Order: sequence, then C-alpha cells, then structure tokens
Amino acid sequence: MGYIGDKDKEYLKGEFDKYLKEKVMLLVFTGDNCQYCNVATALGQEVAELHDAIEFHEYPVNGEEAKKYGVEHAPTVVITDGDKYGGRIRYVGLPSGYEFSSMIEDIIDVSRRTAEVSDEVKMQLQMIDKPVRIQVFVTPTCPYCPRAVRTAHRFAILNENIIGEMVEAMEFPEWANKWNVMSVPHILINEDVQFIGAYPDEQYIKYVVEAWKKMK
Amino acid sequence: MSIGFVLPSASRENKEVDVAIIGAGPAGLSAGIYAIRAGMSAIIIDKGNAGGLAEEAPFVENYLGFEGIEGEKLAKLFKEHAMKYVEISERNEVRDIIMENGKFVLKAEKGEYTAKAIIFATGTTHKTIGVPGEKELFGKGVSYCVTCDGYFYRGKRVAVIGGGNSGAIAAIYLKDLGVEPVVLEYMPTYMCEKAYQDIIKEKGIKYITNAMVTEIAGENKVEKVVYKDRTSGEIKEEKVDGVFIYVGLIPISELAKKIGVDTDNRGYIKVSPKMRTNVPMVYAAGDVTGIAGQIIIAAGQGAMAALTAYEDLMLR
Ligand SMILES: Cc1cc2nc3c(=O)[nH]c(=O)nc-3n(C[C@H](O)[C@H](O)[C@H](O)COP(=O)(O)OP(=O)(O)OC[C@H]3O[C@@H](n4cnc5c(N)ncnc54)[C@H](O)[C@@H]3O)c2cc1C
Repeated sequence: MGYIGDKDKEYLKGEFDKYLKEKVMLLVFTGDNCQYCNVATALGQEVAELHDAIEFHEYPVNGEEAKKYGVEHAPTVVITDGDKYGGRIRYVGLPSGYEFSSMIEDIIDVSRRTAEVSDEVKMQLQMIDKPVRIQVFVTPTCPYCPRAVRTAHRFAILNENIIGEMVEAMEFPEWANKWNVMSVPHILINEDVQFIGAYPDEQYIKYVVEAWKKMK
Repeated sequence: MSIGFVLPSASRENKEVDVAIIGAGPAGLSAGIYAIRAGMSAIIIDKGNAGGLAEEAPFVENYLGFEGIEGEKLAKLFKEHAMKYVEISERNEVRDIIMENGKFVLKAEKGEYTAKAIIFATGTTHKTIGVPGEKELFGKGVSYCVTCDGYFYRGKRVAVIGGGNSGAIAAIYLKDLGVEPVVLEYMPTYMCEKAYQDIIKEKGIKYITNAMVTEIAGENKVEKVVYKDRTSGEIKEEKVDGVFIYVGLIPISELAKKIGVDTDNRGYIKVSPKMRTNVPMVYAAGDVTGIAGQIIIAAGQGAMAALTAYEDLMLR
C-alpha cells in the first residue's frame, strides 16, 4: 500500500489531466541518517506515476545535482522545469500533511510555467533584482501554513531572483530553534526580515521588498 | 503519517451566481451542497482553506456518525463531499460588498462575484485576552492554535488560558503530544462538557479555576503566566514555556454590518430560525450567528440557510 489513498489518487489524476501542460520534474534529494527520506522518495514516485508530464528523479544530497540545484539538506523536494526554476521552489523536509497540497499546486503551476498574483503584486515583484531567499517554517498539522508556503513559491515562479523554501520545523528542530520558531507559519527572508502568519500577497510582498531594500 | 488533500485554489475569475456563500467552514460547505441540490447556482469563497475552524479541532467526538475523528479528516470529508457539487474558491478573501442593479457584488482577492443572495458563513476568529505580554510575546510562546504549534513544547510545560470546550480539547491534545498543560479558567467551575472534564481528570491535567490572568511575562520568550486567584485575591504565577489562548471567539461580521445586517452587541449576526437576517436575500449560518459553536449545528444552519435562500429566490 502506498501513502496516497486510491480515492485521492483518482482525484489527483483528474486534476493533473486538466491542468498539466509542460514537463515538470519532481526531484527528491536523499542522504544517510535521514528519517523521512524513504517516505519522500516513495511519495514522489507515487505522485509522478499519476501523470506522464511528471518526471521523478532521486539524487544524493552530497552529489553534483544537489550542488546544481543548491540543495543542502535531506530530504529536499524540488519542483522544477529543470531550467529557469532551478532549485528555487523547494521543500526541506517532507511535504506531508497540509503541505502535500502545496506540492500538488506547485506541480501544476510549474507545468503551466506561471503563477497567479494580482497586477499590483506583479509590479512589486518585478523590482526584486537581487537574490532573495524566503524560508517558511511550518508544521504538517498547521492549516494556515500552505498559504504562506505557496505565496513564497508563487513569487519564486514569477521572479528568478527569489528562492521559496519550506522548512519542516519538526524535522529540523535545530534550524527552527536558531530562529526561535515557536508559532507557524514563521517566515524568514534573507535570514533578516521575519514575520508570523499567513498574510495576503499584498502584505507578504511588503516584507519581501523590505528585505530586498536592506540589501542595497 | 498523514497526507493532506488537494485542490488548486480557484483561479482569478469574475462570476455570476444565484447565491454566493462566504466561508467554507462546515456551515458554508453544507450550504453549498444544499444550494446546488435545490437547483441554484452557487460558489463558496474562503480566504483560507475549506474546512474552516474545524481544521483546528484536534479530535471531534460529537459529530453524528463519527465516534471520534480528527478535525482535519472531518474537514477533508466535508470538502470532498461539497466539491462534488459546488465550486470552492480558496485563499480568496472577500473584501467588500456593494449593491449594483439590485444584486450584490462581492469584491474578492481573486475576482468579482455577482449574486442575488448571500450566505454569511464567515465563522469567528480567536479572541485575545488583552493582558500585558500577549501581543509582545506572540510567536515567542504565545499561540492561538495547538495543532499548529503544540509540537514545539514537547517535554515542556504550557498554560492553556480558558477552560471551555476548546481550551479543554486543546489541553487534552497537548497532553497526548507529550506537553504538560495547566488550564487556567476564570470561572469557579469547569466550563467544559462533562465528557472533557472526565478526560482531564483521568489524564491528571491541572485545571485551575477562579484564575484571572493578568500578565504573560518573559524576556523575549514566555517564562510565566501571572494570575489573580479570585477567591483569595492572591497574585500567583505558573512557570511555563508557552501559553495557548482559548478565551473565546469573535464573530467575523464586519462585511455583513457594512451592508446593513443587524448584529447583537457582541457582533454575532442576528438570524431568524430560518437563518434570514434583517436584510432581504442575506442569510447567515454557523458560528457567526453565535448560537452554538459546534460543527454539527453549523452544518445544520448552513443547510437551513440555503433552503431558505431557495425559497426566497426561486419560489416567489
Ligand atoms: C480547538 C478547537 C476544538 C474544537 N472542537 C470541536 C469539536 O470537538 N466539536 C465541534 O462540534 N466543534 C468543535 N470546534 C468548533 C468548530 O470548529 C466550529 O464550531 C465550526 O468550525 C464552525 O463552523 P463555521 O462554518 O460556522 O465557521 P468556521 O469553521 O469558522 O469557517 C468560517 C470560514 O469563513 C472564512 N471567512 C471569514 N471571513 C471571510 C471573508 N471575508 N472572505 C472569505 N472567507 C472568509 C474563514 O476563512 C473560515 O474558513 C472546535 C474549535 C476549536 C478552535
């Protein structure tokens, strides 16, 4: 038996048939002493099996591909076109619980090579001309977290300078501790600007712009 | 391990429907099913995920047909059922409503929706207590959601402020996670159902009554909660690493008020037994009516609201 139930598989297949356009790569980076790496791999494979447009690869976290995609932790799941999105749309730790749906939505957006934001937010995103890394700490049982993750990922899809990285706080407690994460979603931009909560795009982008301005 | 469920949030669009349902909690989802089955066109719009506050309920033991089920799972079943009938537009906040040519125009994050009738199923949001330290230490030990943040306190001690049903459920959930909760209740007795009282006693969870919390204190993170013992007048404290606040809920009714809907003095939308508000073609259902704060009742009210909307819209 797999991780995804039959009913959910059927539903996902339907969604993928409707929305998937171009090829999407689902990359899982694994390593030793990694509690959830097997699950990440199995889950990635199960999702990829649902549609021809999804290509699954597993790579070691200390190898060449990991360097190429800027991946350092295991497990990391990257959703990419293998080209312009690089490793910028990623999950450090398992995209389980509520985050599973974020990953599915990412697959659809990446396959469509676009993401939706309002024109106003799009304009602000266009200003970001230096590397900005948005990290979103989550727990899998937090219903408000996917919104914050997806915002980071949508921004990353729309701007090549942005990295959107979910971090599963339960799997990486030291990391979460370092930034005093005690409520999620906890968003950390360029290891500098921080906020807590699932805000609408218009507010979220303000923090991103603030972090970007501080780089000047 | 649990795998969440999926639905790409609806895309930007403008749409015209018979009935627009604001909120995809139990009330809104149930209203959606009834609206479509009755023969109306409808959409459910939610600023967050479908499921509403039910997603935060750790374990539900009082929904008919389920002896015990995680709120997350129950919400998933609700949503899947509703999706069979009705479009659910998630992560799409309704921000304004205006009247145009006798119809309602809902201005939302992802588009404009024109509707002949509206059902407010907007639920509630967590109430704050307003004591020193609450705002300052938010995210530094102060939290309003156990399913989100409970994990961070495994092996530690936390206070749950508010001993009503939600607070009791929260404390039980924390205890099961390996957190040591202490409940602080303002009133002189248990304020939760007998069923929860029994579990609290059985699990040996400390439940302090007559406690008026006056401060949450700590340097950069929660260290203690200070309260006045209302029987002795003594100031006491509990050393804790976190505080979960469950002191009640505030109805989300500003948009309704804006279009002239009457509320009571706490902001709950006033409804007739058939869920009509004072404004024609505007209905309310669920926690925003302040009637019970229970999933089964929210679902029932949602169904009633949709049936009444049908009656008013189609049978006249
Ligand atoms: C810790 C906890 C434990 C609980 N346990 C139980 C239990 O065991 N049994 C039980 O029966 N009940 C329980 N409850 C209560 C239950 O969750 C609620 O009664 C129920 O969810 C109410 O449903 P609703 O549809 O009225 O509102 P909600 O579930 O609150 O849904 C309202 C929805 O409206 C949306 N919304 C609001 N404003 C807008 C807007 N402007 N635009 C778009 N969308 C908007 C919100 O995002 C939300 O999703 C518990 C609650 C908590 C907090």
